[in-house]
Amino acid sequence: MPCIVNSVVAQLVDVSKYYGSGEGRIKALDNVSISVRRGDSAVLVGPSGSGKSTLLHLLGCIDKQDEGSVIIDGIDTSSKGLDELAPLRLDKIGFVFQSFNLIPVLTAYENIELPLLFRGYDQGYIKHRVNEVLEMVHLQDRMHHYPRHMSGGQQQRVAIARALVGNPALILADEPTANLDSRTGADILELLLYLKQKDSITLVLSSHDSVVLERISNVIHIMDGRVSIDSPVF
Amino acid sequence: MPGAIVLTAFIMNIVKLATISLRNLFRNSRRTLITVLVSAAGFAALAILAGYMDFSFYGLRELTVCKGFTAGGGTGHIQVFRSESLKKEELFPMQYGIEDSEKIRADIESIDEVSFTMPRIEFNGLISNGDKSISFMGLGVDPEKEAGLIQYWNSLEKMAGKTKMSDAAYRQLEKAGPYGVLLGQQMAKALSAEVGTNLMLMSTTVDGAVNVVDVTVAGFIRGAMKSIDRHYLVAPLETAMILLQTDRVSKIVVVLKRTEDTSPVSGLVEAKISGHGGKVFFSVIPWEKLAEYYYSVRDVYNIIFSFTGIIVVAIVFLSCTNTMLMATMERVKEIGTLKAIGVSNVWVSMMFLLEGFFIGLLSVAGGLVFKYVFSVTINNSGFKMPPPPGMSSSYLLKIFSAVEFLPWIALLIIFSTTLSGLLTLLKIRKISIVDSLTHV
Ligand SMILES: Nc1ncnc2c1ncn2[C@@H]1O[C@H](COP(=O)(O)OP(=O)(O)OP(=O)(O)O)[C@@H](O)[C@H]1O
Ligand SMILES: [Mg+2]
Repeated sequence: MPCIVNSVVAQLVDVSKYYGSGEGRIKALDNVSISVRRGDSAVLVGPSGSGKSTLLHLLGCIDKQDEGSVIIDGIDTSSKGLDELAPLRLDKIGFVFQSFNLIPVLTAYENIELPLLFRGYDQGYIKHRVNEVLEMVHLQDRMHHYPRHMSGGQQQRVAIARALVGNPALILADEPTANLDSRTGADILELLLYLKQKDSITLVLSSHDSVVLERISNVIHIMDGRVSIDSPVF
Repeated sequence: MPGAIVLTAFIMNIVKLATISLRNLFRNSRRTLITVLVSAAGFAALAILAGYMDFSFYGLRELTVCKGFTAGGGTGHIQVFRSESLKKEELFPMQYGIEDSEKIRADIESIDEVSFTMPRIEFNGLISNGDKSISFMGLGVDPEKEAGLIQYWNSLEKMAGKTKMSDAAYRQLEKAGPYGVLLGQQMAKALSAEVGTNLMLMSTTVDGAVNVVDVTVAGFIRGAMKSIDRHYLVAPLETAMILLQTDRVSKIVVVLKRTEDTSPVSGLVEAKISGHGGKVFFSVIPWEKLAEYYYSVRDVYNIIFSFTGIIVVAIVFLSCTNTMLMATMERVKEIGTLKAIGVSNVWVSMMFLLEGFFIGLLSVAGGLVFKYVFSVTINNSGFKMPPPPGMSSSYLLKIFSAVEFLPWIALLIIFSTTLSGLLTLLKIRKISIVDSLTHV
């Protein structure tokens, strides 16, 4: 048992999530159980409205399930409120959003250093590490640019760097290429897969893109809030 | 982690949030400007009110000292009485007068902070032109010294070039010699008296006999209040002494170099004269105890200031809270992102708190400029205020710098803008991360 806890980074156990109430109540997730192991990656696949985003939000502790439990790095988060979980998100989770979500008044560099600052690292390390990830996402020459002066692809690379910078246990990306044209989207995907290989990050992403399916072997199919997994344990 | 590193990290976080705050303030420069203008106007309003109050208190204080608001004339800074005269009714005039006033005055004048002293006699009786008699409340004075009290007023730097007083009447009285008198203007009219007119003063002597002295009108004097004017009369000390058949005086008036020294010097005076008259005890009374209205006027002003303060703070607070709420609404996505990254609600609202704080700082800076411009304009406009109730002359409006009030007003403004930033915490707690991600 301790062995499994060690290798499992994130786990949903019998999780259900509802939206609305009464007649209009929607079951967005229906009794879902999955585990993500360290160093692994998986892609969530399903039609629109099937519950991909909902599942990622619960894994990332930015929303609360109605039933079941969410365990991140051995910590059961079920009894904690979202604000109480802020330190856990800061330490263990990196998010890449569909619409980039950079802080508009901060430069690329300043956006990326944000998680490290709030973790309380010293300036020397922060500078070193931010430059390191800037290099990984090939944005050294854009580090002092503001988001509004960057293309969508560049902004998403900054977002990836921000998710990556704190070496989180888990990186979640909800349709990271959906707001980009197909070429740029492919580049971003390439980058994520390259980082996965090189930095051995743990990555769960959702996508409509068939290219993704070819590149990531672990596929979680989701349909009407129910999950079926190609390889049950990945 | 060692404490120093925790503190450094804490400061770095604050700096980061401050950076975000400031850049957002500049990004929304027009809205920031409007909010700052409102708060700066609030600061300026309070600062100018404080400056006006300061001026009023100062004017009231020095006017009390130099001119007074009663028939007793200017209070000077300190007055010395025989203690009994304050407690008991006199059986005959000057029963509790001060005997060897010269010696006591010399003693008091040896104190450094004292400019000079002067004796006064308060007496009353009838004044007649042969056809008509009216009652008077008279003041026996040393004209040269009374002129000195007016010179003290004219030498006040804060009043410089503003409202000068004339000592011409006392100079005329001095020139006229021992049997001259100054009449209140209304009294002169009632007796159809002009300069040079001969009149009779009638009063009771210390022995209870009736005595009459012939006097000549040397000039006119305006009583501090219209109601007093009809019975106001000033005569040289000698005239009063002859009329009352006494060599005592009612009191000794002490004039200092600076009003601020009043309370310490009161103690010194008390010490100097306490051993003096054997069984005779003296009371040393500072000017503000002789002018009870001073305290009530000050209370009224303080109430006005507090009310205005509350209103201004409420306006500043509401206007700033409105701005802050607009800012949180506009930046829902940014707030949600910070929360998703793992920044707690309290830290996020710290960002807005800092925004409120910066708005406060900018407002104080702007308010100081406003205040300066306004007070310079007012002080150079020669704007005259109507006479205060019961007084006969209008006065020039002046706004003092009120420097000692400014830090407090600044704190009040910064506190209310910062508090409105802190209030965003209520809103920030409610913002759902997931909803904010889909927010456009
Ligand atoms: N805030 C919400 N309020 C009400 N219903 C919601 C809310 N968010 C999601 N849903 C519903 O929950 C279900 C799952 O939504 P979810 O966003 O997880 O789907 P998805 O797979 O991410 O879809 P897409 O591919 O379009 O992003 C959908 O039926 C959706 O309508
Ligand atoms: Mg979705």
